[in-house]
Amino acid sequence: MDTKKAVKDAPVTTLAATEELLRAPAAAPLVPLPLEVLVPEARQQTPAVRQRAQRPDCRLHGLGQTKYIDDMYLPGMLYAKIKRAGVASARIISIDTREAEAMPGVVAVVTGKDVPCNTFGPSLKDQPVLADSRVFHAGDGVAAVAAITEQIAADAIEKIKVEYEILKPVLDPLESLKLETPGLHAPNPNIYGRKIIKKGDVEKGFAESDHIFEGSYRTQMVEHVPLEPHSSLATWDANGRVTIYSTLGRITLGRADVARTLAMPMSRVRIIATIVGGNFGGKNEITTEPVVALLAKKTGRPVKCTFTRPEEFISSTTRHPLIMDYKTGVTSQGKILARKIRLVLDGGAYCSWSETTLGKACILSAGPYNIDNLLAEAYVVYTNKTMTGAMRGFGAPQVCFAYESHMDDMAKALKIDPLEMRLRNVLEEGSLSPTSQKLHSVVIRESLLQAAERFGWNGNGAQA
Amino acid sequence: MKRRGRGIACMWYPIGFTVAANPSAAVVKVNEDGTATLLTGTVETGQGSLTVLAQIVAQELGIATDDVHVVSADTDTTPMDTGAIASRTTYVTGNAARLAAEKAKLILFEVAAPLLGVKPSQLEVSDHKVHVQGFPQRSIHIGDVSEHARGVNGQPPIGSASFNPATVALDPETGQGKPFATYVYATQIAEVDVDDETGEVDVLRIVASHDCGTPINPMLVEGQVEGGISMGVGFALEEEILFTPDGRQINPNLTNYIMPTSLDMPKIEVDIVDSYDPTGPFGAKGVGEPTCVSTAAAILNAIHDAVGVRVTQLPATAERVYAAIKAKRAQEAKLITAG
Repeated sequence: MDTKKAVKDAPVTTLAATEELLRAPAAAPLVPLPLEVLVPEARQQTPAVRQRAQRPDCRLHGLGQTKYIDDMYLPGMLYAKIKRAGVASARIISIDTREAEAMPGVVAVVTGKDVPCNTFGPSLKDQPVLADSRVFHAGDGVAAVAAITEQIAADAIEKIKVEYEILKPVLDPLESLKLETPGLHAPNPNIYGRKIIKKGDVEKGFAESDHIFEGSYRTQMVEHVPLEPHSSLATWDANGRVTIYSTLGRITLGRADVARTLAMPMSRVRIIATIVGGNFGGKNEITTEPVVALLAKKTGRPVKCTFTRPEEFISSTTRHPLIMDYKTGVTSQGKILARKIRLVLDGGAYCSWSETTLGKACILSAGPYNIDNLLAEAYVVYTNKTMTGAMRGFGAPQVCFAYESHMDDMAKALKIDPLEMRLRNVLEEGSLSPTSQKLHSVVIRESLLQAAERFGWNGNGAQA
Repeated sequence: MKRRGRGIACMWYPIGFTVAANPSAAVVKVNEDGTATLLTGTVETGQGSLTVLAQIVAQELGIATDDVHVVSADTDTTPMDTGAIASRTTYVTGNAARLAAEKAKLILFEVAAPLLGVKPSQLEVSDHKVHVQGFPQRSIHIGDVSEHARGVNGQPPIGSASFNPATVALDPETGQGKPFATYVYATQIAEVDVDDETGEVDVLRIVASHDCGTPINPMLVEGQVEGGISMGVGFALEEEILFTPDGRQINPNLTNYIMPTSLDMPKIEVDIVDSYDPTGPFGAKGVGEPTCVSTAAAILNAIHDAVGVRVTQLPATAERVYAAIKAKRAQEAKLITAG
């Protein structure tokens, strides 16, 4: 790479140039590469399936040779930072970028008005690339700067002045559930997704039960916290084709979203996913990609943007907090006859992957049990909190916490060992799921018994 | 005083998207020396999925994992893939990769059949060779077949295929239907110490028994389970994003958002349940997400077993556990007084 030329082209101070010089070689540490690599035996054996084969990338990780986007540098590359709203709900009156643009080292500034199609989302297209008229949560981006160093870009976003009309945020999902008009996220209704699963006759099941148990459970908002934050790097060629290196875990749909937001044909967008340092569901949709593409187009230079750790928390998706109400009817022997469930998902500021989370949480909420009479209802509502989206388990860890806490409470009241209580109710080969799907390769009983044996779970687990 | 408790939790989890199509495509090329290249649009996000895909292709072609080079994650060069989401890579992309490898293999069989004097349907592969079923000594090295295919038959052994899980839409009124092609099952049992004077919970041991169908790579399955449990421990006891009354995050940093470190990790014992799903590649289903599903439930049940309190709001921080213990004691004192 021609670092010297890149620095010469940069219209700036010596200090900044030094910083860039220091930065470029650091991206490619010189390590003697092994020419004769010893291939582990497990990788050489046939048949290949069931082998404990090592990953070819583990050598690179071990030698520190894996190239993440933060390790990449292209000649003349600029660094982007995104200005965050810092208010949870507001109308944007004006955005004044003049002072930032006048700063030495700042090459370009963009706002939502520069985004050709400023909406995206995996189901509802309710999310802007950069908020242009309305802020729905404090982590919304409102403007972005490209500068010759990361520090100058960070200083420049502080100089951008945004005038807001502050609105009262709604933070409690139960309050959002009750609100009629005006919509929290007009024109979409506050309850932007609902799901219902009805099987058998739940009231009849309760009538036939010896005991009825009820429980309410709540879970919190958590972050994926991947080791590598979201990052992307865009570079255009002279034919007007853009290449984006990205931490996305889903490039096919990422390309569709980038092409849509930039109003470009897909054939002129290339997405290359680098080795990703952890995803856990948080890197399933575009974040910085259209922003760096626009800044790179405006400046004619490659542009990179990497989230800071706070941005990772406030501006990427998080896990849906759930409010879960359970009511279960059982026989004295611990057989579940009927179950009624209500789930309220805090959907945050944008839909993102809420539809999927809603569906999976609702279907899985009955637990891995045979329940003939079931009624599960689930709602997802907007709030002015950080957007919730895909996260490892899509609602399953939340409902599992509820149905398994509930199970133990019932076992204790009925004086049945918790393991035994589960064995009396679990799904079997050919069981019908809550959606009446006939299940195959069902091994929940085997799993319970295997874990119990390994743990040394001796009966009498029913505590008085 | 520290009190010991144990808790059990089981779960089920689906593979792939809910009803919605989520296809994967793959291309497999067999090289003239008997190695192969897989093109896939999925992304390695640290879970080892590219190694699993290489093993699936290697198994179908009768070669070793190291013989398969995987090219991934470039929209210009690799085929469509729904991506690293929904625990779908082994099952969906794996099925696509297996089908693509099978198509390349069928070309090899057509080329090898006249050389071995049999019909293509009488051939199979193993140990880097195409051979006659039941007669392993009547064989040709797969590289020689591939070279013959290219150089003599003019038919390079390249296969491409796609796969999409079979689902049936859900009835909007009742939610009845077939949302997923297959599910996995798992149990985790936690052992904890709870300090009844501070509410502090120490997770000592977690036993995990997970179904993933055939474990294509048991080491990577164990790695996923261990990682999932670490997320589950944080979800159960520590992690929580907090907000100011005006809706800004209070703790968007790793100083105040507390996650488990390696020192907080319990002893983990992983077992893989013996299972085979005929719809998966070589019987495999998946393992990614399910590993973090039942951990918090098992830990909370263990807390309940240890100190007799039911914490119904996560995370079960020391403050919350201690408040529940205090409330229980007050309740018990009241009962004694009343009695």
